[in-house]
Amino acid sequence: MNTTFADTNSIKKSSIGSFRIQRGIAIGFGLLAALLILGAILVPGFISPRNARSILLLAAFLGLASLGQTLCALVGALDLSIPYLIGGANILFPSLLVAGLPAWLAIVVVVLLGAFIGFGNGLLSFKLQGQALIMSLGIGFAVVGAVQLYTSLGSAFGGTVFAPVPNWLRNFAAFNGKTFGFPVPPVVILWLLLTAAAIWALYNTWFGRSVYAVGGSRVAAARLGISELRVWTAIHSVSGAMSALTGVLLLGFSGGGFVGVGDPYLFTTVAAVVIGGTSLLGGAGGYGATVLGVLVLTVLTSLLVGLGLNFAAQQAIVGLLIVPMVAIYARSPHIRFQV
Amino acid sequence: MSSQSKLSSVFQDRSLFVPAALFVVLILVAAIISPRLFTVNGLGGAILVATPLILTTLALTPIVMAGRASVDLSVGPLLGFINVTLIAWLVGNGVTNPVAVVAWVIGIGAVYQLIQALIIIYVRVAPIIVTLSSFLVLSGVNLMVMSSPGGVAPDWMMSWGAGTAIFSPVLVLLIAAFVLWGAVRRTAFFGHLRMTGADERMAYTSGVRVDLVRITAHVMGGVFVGLAALSYTALISSGDPTQGSNYTLQAVTALVLGGANLAGGRGGALGSTLGALNMFLISYLLSVFSFGNVTGFVTQMAFGVILVASLLVNVFMTNRRVAH
Repeated sequence: MNTTFADTNSIKKSSIGSFRIQRGIAIGFGLLAALLILGAILVPGFISPRNARSILLLAAFLGLASLGQTLCALVGALDLSIPYLIGGANILFPSLLVAGLPAWLAIVVVVLLGAFIGFGNGLLSFKLQGQALIMSLGIGFAVVGAVQLYTSLGSAFGGTVFAPVPNWLRNFAAFNGKTFGFPVPPVVILWLLLTAAAIWALYNTWFGRSVYAVGGSRVAAARLGISELRVWTAIHSVSGAMSALTGVLLLGFSGGGFVGVGDPYLFTTVAAVVIGGTSLLGGAGGYGATVLGVLVLTVLTSLLVGLGLNFAAQQAIVGLLIVPMVAIYARSPHIRFQV
Repeated sequence: MSSQSKLSSVFQDRSLFVPAALFVVLILVAAIISPRLFTVNGLGGAILVATPLILTTLALTPIVMAGRASVDLSVGPLLGFINVTLIAWLVGNGVTNPVAVVAWVIGIGAVYQLIQALIIIYVRVAPIIVTLSSFLVLSGVNLMVMSSPGGVAPDWMMSWGAGTAIFSPVLVLLIAAFVLWGAVRRTAFFGHLRMTGADERMAYTSGVRVDLVRITAHVMGGVFVGLAALSYTALISSGDPTQGSNYTLQAVTALVLGGANLAGGRGGALGSTLGALNMFLISYLLSVFSFGNVTGFVTQMAFGVILVASLLVNVFMTNRRVAH
């Protein structure tokens, strides 16, 4: 981690950070292995290509939605507009198709709109820092309300959009989708590619190192000539764009536009980031850790479904596991050591 | 940070300007568009509907004031938990004694928040993570206690939900909550709470027992959640396991509308109450306009825009500089 300028602000801090992260990743892998073994013992057919495919597919959606959340957490922000942008994109895209836009153009429009909203979110919340998550919540409300208004203009079905989903999008994101004949939905491949790109970019580009620098110490980052505003708005733009993309892809998965499709992602994206070991205070962690968190969360959910638990019980158990998970490696120091 | 806390009493007053102005505007608009609000029935109904939100916002206030960006996301589901356990466990087993019911709602609220505070302080996990996970746990548990809205409130509570008189038991509940807040405000604890929220390290080095302050703030919040759950039960006269997340989002919005700083140190009962009343008036006014089948969308969008606007106005009013 000491290859670039970004760590010069506090070598001690960053080495503690990387130790924590490595321990977090080791624990994550341990937990994942334990869950898989438990699943193999308790649920017949848990270790099968079929189940692996469904886990990967669900993980891909969560992973795509969590990319922006990870970047935000790295600078100490949380983006709570993600579920609303997902829901908004999920109904805006089909209504654009109905309006006669070609599918590729509609995707570009929706993703750019998402990036634009994320940019606005970053710009407005920059001065607020500690209250940024509430700002993003407000933006989310406003956006989803506006999109629902737009889609229900001249439509008798408030909030629900009926449009034929293009076949290629169905194949792209549905459970039985195929990539060049292989029985893996292309969205999983897309997620893997984006994962590789995100991890590479976070460690090797000026932008990626700037994100860590700002998250680690704002004063030090400013001394290095890094524009905090630019980093802040850029990561929120990425978050907005990724949310919009996830919303479009989820349409291929579900087959019908539904504004509530994003709702579970409000807390699961945060949970995935936290379980992976990225500190919500900023500066430590990365997308690789989040991918691990996404897999742990998805395998756990799959295990609980396999055990026959309903949604309420799944939610309760995931909630119960978060605090001990975080307590293992992300405890803050006692106040007497912070003075 | 420290210069900010010195001036926080000044900010306190200025931060009330926006919610108060908004409140006056909304009341004027309501008086023009829908004078029905100011009849006995209208006011009785308004008190009934607004009280659970006011009390939930009051519950959030001390917890947020204690700082560390500890917005308690779990207040809504906790309200739901008290509501459904009251209906399913107490009333379901024939316990309808008013003393037992009140003791139950306040006790559960306080004990739950005590546990949560102990986890935050002694396990030392960021508050937002603790309350996020308890949000998930309680949302799930509520649905396990009661899978769908149903049940009936105790007989003596049935008349509370009529909303046909201004001086109803719900108003008494609300006044009792304000009296409780007023009493706490006069104690040394309240000053310590604001100090802790404004600058925890400074408070600690000045000899404030910050852990105790934090625990007390949470327990106090728990008592208010209990009262909120009681008024909510009176409002719907039954149990509903699904409204929790809704109340969390509304209460956080109301808190911000009331001028509280989510980073801690700034906030108060008056601001929170004004914020909650503004929320109520906005949704009331939007329901008076007829938007047909898009009313829900307009309401949602309006909440979002108002939340964003009030955050921005708060920033400019207090001219708060980000100091790290």
